[in-house]
Amino acid sequence: MKIDCQLVTRVLTSFIREESYKAGFERNIIGVSGGLDSTVCAYLAVRAVGPQNIFGLIMPFKDYDQEGVRLAEECCRLLGINFEKIDLSPQIEAYFSRHPAEQPVLRGNKIARERMSILYDYSARLKAMILGTSNKSELLIGYGTIHGDLACGINPMGDLYKTQVRQLARYLEVPEKILRRKPTAGLWPGQTDEDEIGFSYEELDQILFKLVDERLTPDEAIKTGLEEKKVRQVSELIRKSEYKRKMPPIAKLSERTVGHDFLYPYDWGK
Amino acid sequence: MRLRQNYWTEDFILCYFLLMKVAIAQISSVLGRVDKNLDRHLELIEKAASQKADLVIFPELSLTGYSLQDLVPEVAIRPDCSEVMSRLLAASRHIDVVVGLVEERKENPGIFYNSAAYLSRGEITYLHRKVFLPTSGMFEEGRFFAGGREFRAFPAGSNRIGLLICRDFLHYSSSYCLLADGAGLIIVISAAPGRGIVNENSQGFESSRSWELMGQTISYFSSAYVIYCNRVGLENGVTFAGGSFIYNPDGQLQFKAPYLETDLSTQEIDLDLIRKARKNRPYKRDDRPEVICYSLGRLLRKQDED
Repeated sequence: MKIDCQLVTRVLTSFIREESYKAGFERNIIGVSGGLDSTVCAYLAVRAVGPQNIFGLIMPFKDYDQEGVRLAEECCRLLGINFEKIDLSPQIEAYFSRHPAEQPVLRGNKIARERMSILYDYSARLKAMILGTSNKSELLIGYGTIHGDLACGINPMGDLYKTQVRQLARYLEVPEKILRRKPTAGLWPGQTDEDEIGFSYEELDQILFKLVDERLTPDEAIKTGLEEKKVRQVSELIRKSEYKRKMPPIAKLSERTVGHDFLYPYDWGK
Repeated sequence: MRLRQNYWTEDFILCYFLLMKVAIAQISSVLGRVDKNLDRHLELIEKAASQKADLVIFPELSLTGYSLQDLVPEVAIRPDCSEVMSRLLAASRHIDVVVGLVEERKENPGIFYNSAAYLSRGEITYLHRKVFLPTSGMFEEGRFFAGGREFRAFPAGSNRIGLLICRDFLHYSSSYCLLADGAGLIIVISAAPGRGIVNENSQGFESSRSWELMGQTISYFSSAYVIYCNRVGLENGVTFAGGSFIYNPDGQLQFKAPYLETDLSTQEIDLDLIRKARKNRPYKRDDRPEVICYSLGRLLRKQDED
């Protein structure tokens, strides 16, 4: 699963530059959290279009992830990019004071969508294309909030497993402190991805690589020595989360229907 | 192409070297914008001609871009009456040109082919229609194009040339047909995406290796030049790999364009190497197309009976 970091960097920087330019943007905006994915994305973006064309948005909620916020600020300064910190607490608290919710997932999803809403607002204000930071591991098991952190203009990170993002981070010389952090979506205090998923990204990525890249069936993957319970669990997560990777189905009525047989490329005329 | 007199110093025999200058335009296209792509073609044709090239080769679907889907009918060109074709033909008066286009025939309207046109001296010398349309995984050509039905070499100057489009080349039977038909030059135009990043220090994508492997093999065993022109750029997040190349009739890599970067390189190829290779390794002389044809015929008849 090791990657050729030089090649990947070359492809992803071109991707950021060309796809943004084709859509009419000269700048990019990234929600930076102090975590690995958004930091790597910021490093790539700076290489692609230069620090003067990148804007970082740091969006803490209460004191859920103070270390993340600190690291995000440090990372923006280190890269020489402009950034702004927007505290989400007032608007989210305003909502939950009228519509209380105790379940952490409900609160977490609201936070993720609030971040998305602010990113899109700033995207329009600054005329900057939003770079998504969901990696392949998250996308495949559906570990993301639909219309929340999954929403973006373009996503340079989506074909890299989390462990590959780590490898790329070392190549890009991302600060050690960020590399060593336990991955968290910062959706509630002390939350970590691996606790929530139930096993480590190393284990998850190994299973995903067998099922997705090598196209093994779960039974075949188990025969290679992977733990049966985990393989079955991952395979089920992939199946159940397909809706998060697609546009919603449109009820077909006419001869030619958006999403069915009105088929134009994303880069149409670009 | 021009004839140049020279001495073969080794044998002190007077002989003739046939030298030809080939320009490979490893470019990107604007998806669905024939007007913009035509301008770029004309500009590069002129540039190649100013470098004294005899032939300039553009990638697969160079006039339209690759991932067309429902744009296919909208960008199709009728070679007999298209203004785009007239302008390309005018540009081909002083230099031969290979372009990739969506072709629609007057006698067969509504049927679209992924085609390669060889233009020379203001005329269309040959049109090849892609036979093997990849339709699996990320590819969906079979949904939008009709498949060609033939591989044929055609004369151009003192050579016989065969045209193939992208996946055609990965089926080695295609090149065999061109060998049997006497092609000394196999020109492959391509829009091959880069895939596979797991190998370290490979410079390019893993998928590029399959093209190079086939290029080396076919050039050596056909004693023919293989000239591969791949595109670069991005469409819908897919990166085209570049890495165009020329293998000579001895299976040696003569030229390789960079991966992922736009490039216009002119290379001199020595057509006498075809003769020498065929003299030294008489695969072409000893070929038995009638045996191949008989064997395939029997196979097909048997399949029919089954």
